Amino acid sequence: MMQAISQILSAALGTMAFGLLYGVPRNYYPYCGAIGGAGWLVYLAVSPWGGILASLVATMAVALLSRFTAIRKRCPVTVFLITGIFPLVPGAQVYWMAYYFVTDETGLAAQNGYLAVKTAFAIVLGIVFVFEIPQRVFARRRKKKC
Amino acid sequence: METALEAGHILLENGAEIFRVEETMDRICHHYGLESGNAFVLSNGIFVTAGDTREQVFAKVQHIPVSSAQLDKVVAVNQLSREIVQGKYTVQEAGEALKRIRNMQGKTRWARILASGLGSGAFCVLFGGNLQDAFSASAAGLLLYLFVLGMGERLSKIVFNIAGSALVTLLCGFLGFVGVGVHMNFMIMGSIMPLIPGVPFVNAIRDMANGDYISGSVRMLDALLTFVCIAIGVGLGTALLHGGMGGGYLV
Repeated sequence: MMQAISQILSAALGTMAFGLLYGVPRNYYPYCGAIGGAGWLVYLAVSPWGGILASLVATMAVALLSRFTAIRKRCPVTVFLITGIFPLVPGAQVYWMAYYFVTDETGLAAQNGYLAVKTAFAIVLGIVFVFEIPQRVFARRRKKKC
Repeated sequence: METALEAGHILLENGAEIFRVEETMDRICHHYGLESGNAFVLSNGIFVTAGDTREQVFAKVQHIPVSSAQLDKVVAVNQLSREIVQGKYTVQEAGEALKRIRNMQGKTRWARILASGLGSGAFCVLFGGNLQDAFSASAAGLLLYLFVLGMGERLSKIVFNIAGSALVTLLCGFLGFVGVGVHMNFMIMGSIMPLIPGVPFVNAIRDMANGDYISGSVRMLDALLTFVCIAIGVGLGTALLHGGMGGGYLV
């Protein structure tokens, strides 16, 4: 439990730091952090049912939150989506793949490579699903581009 | 139309999606009374034609090199285009506003270096490292970004990513060797995060979802290539560590 909390906090912190790295305007930092943290919270909550499913659901959560925030703040959704997705990107699997490849554990390397590709596909599907929802569901009759 | 093209240029250069670029340019063209404004946007070029009652057809092509993303410029241009449509700007004023946005200062180098370190440390904890690991990942992240700022312009993207992640791996190996960090794996995972191509990856997905397949696949290729390069770099670094320290050192 403690670990989960520290992980969520660090996800939020990391998301904010990367927001700065990509030049997000200062007043959006808290939102970026909150979205990143929420994404990881969802990931942890769903992960007992499988890592790939968790990535999918967490991405959908991040994308939904990004769209809501973008509408409310009237700024491009990209700002929140890119930073919020960072904790979910399969960086760890890419690392394990390289590590096992070098240490002659080809089986494990292939397994982690597949996992990275599957996670990436889950993220793709998550984003695509959420962006198929028509804009007006979010805008509530206020016709604004996100 | 110059204005529209300039707006599109800034948007594309700083990591906006294709459809946002097209829509913004269309809106600016229409607002300033161009009847047949048409923009065709690829991931590294914009083609516009426009015509009004006086001039029949006027066309312009602009090539846009891929560069690093500054999302605050995307936000600023987006805001500007909305205000243009509301009629707050003349053409000249809009041009000046765009020039201001183009010259907008990014974050200072130190802020970005610090952010890179902070992010590396945070992601190290996220992957399961403890505080010591986070500390050394931060150090590696800081140095990595120094490397990014120093060499990013000079090296090709492939060499740059391989060298960057190999550097991080060696650095983490060293820090682990002198006993600052405990878990090598988590340290490395955390500190390669600043290299992970988040912007092209997300934009590629959204471009493809919008049907801009050419730009989408170019950007996806960019992201994949970077992932592969990072993997190669980490592999290289790990191999060097194994060789240099008699194997079996990495836990």
